[in-house]
Amino acid sequence: MKLLTKTTLYFLLAMIPLLAGGGYLLFRQFSREIDHRVDRELVYDEIQWVQYVEAVTADGSSFILRAPDLLIFPVDERPSRYPSISTTQGQKARDNIRIPFRQLSHVVAINGVPYQIVIRKSQEQKAVLVANITTIMLLVFVGLGLATLLFNWIISKRLWRPFRASLQKIRHIELQQMDEVRFEETATTEFNELNTSLNAMTRKLHSDYLVIKEFTENAAHEMQTPLAIAQTKMELLLQDEALTGPQVDTILQATDALGRLGKLNQSLLLLARIEASQYETTDTLNLVDVTRKYLDLFAEMIQDRQITVETEFVGDFTVKLHPVLADSLVSNLLGNAVKYNRTGGRITIAVSERRYCISNTSDTPAIPPQQLFKRFGVPAAAPGHSTGLGLAIVKRIADTHHLYIAYAFEKDMHRFCIEAPGT
Amino acid sequence: MNMKVLIIEDEPALQQSIKTYLEHQGFVCEAVSDFLSGLDKVRQYPYDCVVVDIGLPYGSGLDIVKELKAIESPSGIIIISARGALEDKLKGLELGSDDYLTKPFHLSELNARIQAIIRRRSFGGNKAIVFNEIRLEPEAQSVTVEGAPVELTDKEYRLLEYFIANQRRVLTKAAIAAHIWGDEYEQVGNYDFIYTHIKNLRKKLIDAGSADYIKTVYGTGYRFTDR
Repeated sequence: MKLLTKTTLYFLLAMIPLLAGGGYLLFRQFSREIDHRVDRELVYDEIQWVQYVEAVTADGSSFILRAPDLLIFPVDERPSRYPSISTTQGQKARDNIRIPFRQLSHVVAINGVPYQIVIRKSQEQKAVLVANITTIMLLVFVGLGLATLLFNWIISKRLWRPFRASLQKIRHIELQQMDEVRFEETATTEFNELNTSLNAMTRKLHSDYLVIKEFTENAAHEMQTPLAIAQTKMELLLQDEALTGPQVDTILQATDALGRLGKLNQSLLLLARIEASQYETTDTLNLVDVTRKYLDLFAEMIQDRQITVETEFVGDFTVKLHPVLADSLVSNLLGNAVKYNRTGGRITIAVSERRYCISNTSDTPAIPPQQLFKRFGVPAAAPGHSTGLGLAIVKRIADTHHLYIAYAFEKDMHRFCIEAPGT
Repeated sequence: MNMKVLIIEDEPALQQSIKTYLEHQGFVCEAVSDFLSGLDKVRQYPYDCVVVDIGLPYGSGLDIVKELKAIESPSGIIIISARGALEDKLKGLELGSDDYLTKPFHLSELNARIQAIIRRRSFGGNKAIVFNEIRLEPEAQSVTVEGAPVELTDKEYRLLEYFIANQRRVLTKAAIAAHIWGDEYEQVGNYDFIYTHIKNLRKKLIDAGSADYIKTVYGTGYRFTDR
């Protein structure tokens, strides 16, 4: 739920008891006022009637009056000093509705005879008053609701604008370009605090990122020279004709390990460079051409393992990609399709203008999704020459070029598909 | 007749490896390990080829390349660098370096490239490569054995050229694969298929009347030798 909708709701909820309380107080005030007036009228009426009865019964006769709202009759009771006034329910004349009445009851001695006087006045107007007050309160409530909605809409449009602007920036932020992102000063203290913190955070993140990136790059670079030394020394050692078979084997194993280390290092460097956007280009190239090049390059290996390659080049898959990355993308995918294939297996390459798919048979099971593009997520059954970075590189290239990469295991085939943006 | 090579590399162990290997292959080598002495050397003497590292004490190897171009030196230049970034590579080549090799590299690869550079520079690529009865014409990429032409595929030709450049040295399968197919070939895994190519080359040469120079070094790789 939107923050504004929430505040509006809470506001309105808080308004309900407030309005109800206000209505009640208003009603009580009016009700008292009315009672007070009616009571005065009742007392006044009584005085008039007492005077009248006094005059009528001056000759010693008795007086009885029974009207719907007036009762005067002699009674055998002790007269009381003050009249008692109370609210009762009673039948409305002619109608069959019960309505409240204000009733005065008094036992008065008139010419020595105690008379019971009961006068009542309808308080129908009170019910009307309640209805009126309720209506007004409801109207106020609806009016408040509408006003709040309108205000909030305006507030959301204007007041929250800097917040939305910041949010938009955060959404499109990328680690590599974080140093270019500035959260502007606004006229609102809270947003200023937020933006200042965001600025500090992005600066920190970016500098940390630079440090790590630089470290990765430097570490990889610094490793190249010792690797070169070790590798060349092994190569020289291998030239010694006095070496025994086991010694040669030992050197070769060490050379192999060094070679793998070198390869690993180069892959890490490539990843670091992709992340540092060192391979930006405005030129487009056709992945079909790159694929043909690598099919040609891998031809011996494919033949050697009796792998059948089926190609369906329906259209040209053109993409804005640096040649180095295109090479890396295709050689990794096609290389994997060969490397993880079985002898006598199959590779299918299907290319249309929007989709580029490579499928291959393999003895390795389907790759679990959480392992798929992870660095060093090499399957247990991988041949020795894997760096475990190939798919991570492919994924990184796809991500940085707005390409979508999907993996599926269907009909005994592993399939990787690259899709152009906007499909 | 001996070709002179200057090695400018600040890492003594690597410098020594390069020197040893190149001397084995018949080069006369001089080695220095910093920018200033490198600059001194190239100003004093025209080498056939200068092998220069980019990251040097007191200066950048790229400035040595610039200096060589400024004094219009006939030396071939090959940059060896730990920095494999494309712009470094392009910068080096743009400044006039003939080749660029990223560390780590195979000594046999460096040697083959130096020989190719010298051949291109000194003889316009016209000089034939001769190994006993085998004669290679780099321009036409043709091969003859005692004057009789031998039909080789492109890869077999490059294999032979590489073998002769690194004659008498043990070449590992990894080094051979990297030279003929490029580093990316490691994507597919093993090098067993090399065997087929070498077998074919050996058969074609022997059939044409050449001696059997390609020796299998068990488990390791191959050696091209007349000894």
